[in-house]
Amino acid sequence: MSRVRGFTARQTFTALAIVLVVVLVALLVYLYFFLRDGGIPQPKPTSSPGVESVWELYGPGEGDLPRFDGPMGVVVSEDGRVYVTDSGNNRICVFDTQGRFQSTFGSFGIAKPSQGATVTYEPGSLNYPVGLDLDDDGNVYVASFYNDSIEVFDAEGTPLRRFPDPATVVGRGGSGYGGTGIAVTDVAVHGDRVYATDAYQVVIFTREGEFVDQWGKPGRGEGDLDHPNGIAVSRDGETIYVSDTNHGRVTAFTTAGDVLWQVGTIPEGMDDRTAGDLQLPRGLAVDSDGSLLVTDAFSFEIIRISAEGEVLNRYGVRGVEPGQWNFANDVSVFRSFALVADKGNGRVQMVRLGR
Amino acid sequence: MAVSLLSSSVVARACTTTGRRTHLIVSMQRGLIVAVLCVAVLSIAVPAHAYDEVGGTGGPCVGCHGGSVNSPSGPHGGYTATSKKCATCHSAHKAPAGGIVLLPAATVLATCQTCHDGTSGQGVYGVIKARTGVDPADPAESGAAHRMLDREVDPITAIPGGDSAGGGARTAAFSGTAGGLTCSDCHSPHGSNVVAAFTGDRARSTTDTAGLDSPSNFYSTRLLRQRPTSTDAAYASVTEYGSDWCAACHAGRLSWHELYNHPVEAATTYTGPGSAFTYESVARLTGAGASTTTLGSLGRNNFGYVMPDPRTAEQSGHEPICQQCHEDARDVGDVTLRTVDATEVFKITDVDGLPSDPVVNSDNPRFQVFPHESENDAFLIETDNDLCLNCHKQPAG
Repeated sequence: MSRVRGFTARQTFTALAIVLVVVLVALLVYLYFFLRDGGIPQPKPTSSPGVESVWELYGPGEGDLPRFDGPMGVVVSEDGRVYVTDSGNNRICVFDTQGRFQSTFGSFGIAKPSQGATVTYEPGSLNYPVGLDLDDDGNVYVASFYNDSIEVFDAEGTPLRRFPDPATVVGRGGSGYGGTGIAVTDVAVHGDRVYATDAYQVVIFTREGEFVDQWGKPGRGEGDLDHPNGIAVSRDGETIYVSDTNHGRVTAFTTAGDVLWQVGTIPEGMDDRTAGDLQLPRGLAVDSDGSLLVTDAFSFEIIRISAEGEVLNRYGVRGVEPGQWNFANDVSVFRSFALVADKGNGRVQMVRLGR
Repeated sequence: MAVSLLSSSVVARACTTTGRRTHLIVSMQRGLIVAVLCVAVLSIAVPAHAYDEVGGTGGPCVGCHGGSVNSPSGPHGGYTATSKKCATCHSAHKAPAGGIVLLPAATVLATCQTCHDGTSGQGVYGVIKARTGVDPADPAESGAAHRMLDREVDPITAIPGGDSAGGGARTAAFSGTAGGLTCSDCHSPHGSNVVAAFTGDRARSTTDTAGLDSPSNFYSTRLLRQRPTSTDAAYASVTEYGSDWCAACHAGRLSWHELYNHPVEAATTYTGPGSAFTYESVARLTGAGASTTTLGSLGRNNFGYVMPDPRTAEQSGHEPICQQCHEDARDVGDVTLRTVDATEVFKITDVDGLPSDPVVNSDNPRFQVFPHESENDAFLIETDNDLCLNCHKQPAG
């Protein structure tokens, strides 16, 4: 019987088998996490509370406009396409979830010129794009703020349609220039419904653009709105979350516009000594556990609120380092990661937030 | 030998003792200097360092900066509250290099535009470019703007009509990039030392509309400073919005200077009976087609933008204030003698944010753009004959 340094062949074989099993298990574990995270780099710890950093993007890095100009919106598709509204450059930039640039679409065009000016709008034109969202087919809905309408593209960026007609009164009326169209700042798509924020209300359309309903009004009462800049829908489609931005609060509505709960209080003036849960909430996203992520531009935090309206956690601080924000404007969720439109830093970040 | 050794030992010990004393004294002196320096540094650094930028309440800022902090409400309010208001715009330790007043962006303009891009309402830059494709801040384009863009390279801003003696231009340094004009030269974001609240030219929001029945609801200071920020001591301080506010910079535009002699009324130049016109007290027509006037605010409709000839008793002896010709572009209406075409009277019913039923055509822009930018040259409300005929009778023949 041969021996290797005092071990029998059986003992040697057993040891090798154990090593192989351990290596195999390690490979399987690695493969699991690799597939789960879609090949996304391992997050790195940061000094920012509750935030691990994956990557930061400052723009496509190529072409005539290699850098973002105030990116205000971000959304990720199920298959890992990251869409960014490059607001100042009037375009949408597309990346993969590893941060590699894919393409751009959209260009500047005026749909509602003032007196004496001319229409330069063509299908797919944008005029200060802000929020955006995707439908179940991967189509991209973009809030084209100064064109008072929503521009819809397919996943590759081909223009499909726009609604509402910026020259037509929407329902009982909207805040678009001259009283037509809507001054849309954000959109959320769920099933066949598209929810859009106007200056003092929420306007609801079908995916094809037919007007369905509108609710919300100006004022300081419960459920009243003042320039909302974020909207999201719960996973069951029954709750509509709205960032009531200038009121410093987030309100959960039923699909009919009835108030379920509110987080945050309206500032009452210089003598108001209420700390307030929220300062200037803007973009929203619903996480996989049903909790709500709120981008608070003035507290320089991403704030997690439970589906019942309880503040659960706060992430990040102001700064320029990875995992820090400077007037962040929007957030989106991809698997266990969050993407943040870090407007003031002119970048988009992928991070992992604690629970 | 022993004595010698003892002696040298004593001397050495004495020298050592003396040296130790000298060393001690020098050490004490150095220590004292270091201590004084430490105290000096700490006395400067501690107040700023004591402020916790993450969990701060704003209280420490107000302790030192209370005199400049006085804001009304909303996102610009609450500086004395237990909130993080100061830290929203100022960072004691993390402000970008080259920036000013510890702001989170490199310039005042960039800081303001993080919110004032239109999505939060209120007056903004960029509206006209979004509607026309033409940037009125570009000197090569038509229109007008109080240019304060980051691309401004002229280190000294030329003020048209700034020379109070001759009426010509003069130069002055402001607080923007390279001495250019910037937002905080005219606005105090903290609401300190601002002008008295005024109505504004139009109802643009539902808040404005709600206030039509309760004026205190829509009166606002627009956070306008009583005097612009500048190193130039020539700027006057005014408490009411009107010609005198404009003349703080454009002093040469007031009446009777050789270059610009079109009459303008200001409290500093008016010598007639009664008080001079201000924004809140001009002679305005009592209604469309009316031939009578009453003293009231210039804003909210077109009735104050005309001074038909012959003048009414309230108008007699007065000249127009700056804002009667310079405001957001608008269709004032055709003036035939004392009548104003009722069909062209500005409609304030079509307001941003309100359901419009029935919808009416309106020249009400969604945002206030005056005095930031305008499609018309020189910020004129109308152009050509439309403007002149607001106050002048068309010559016969």
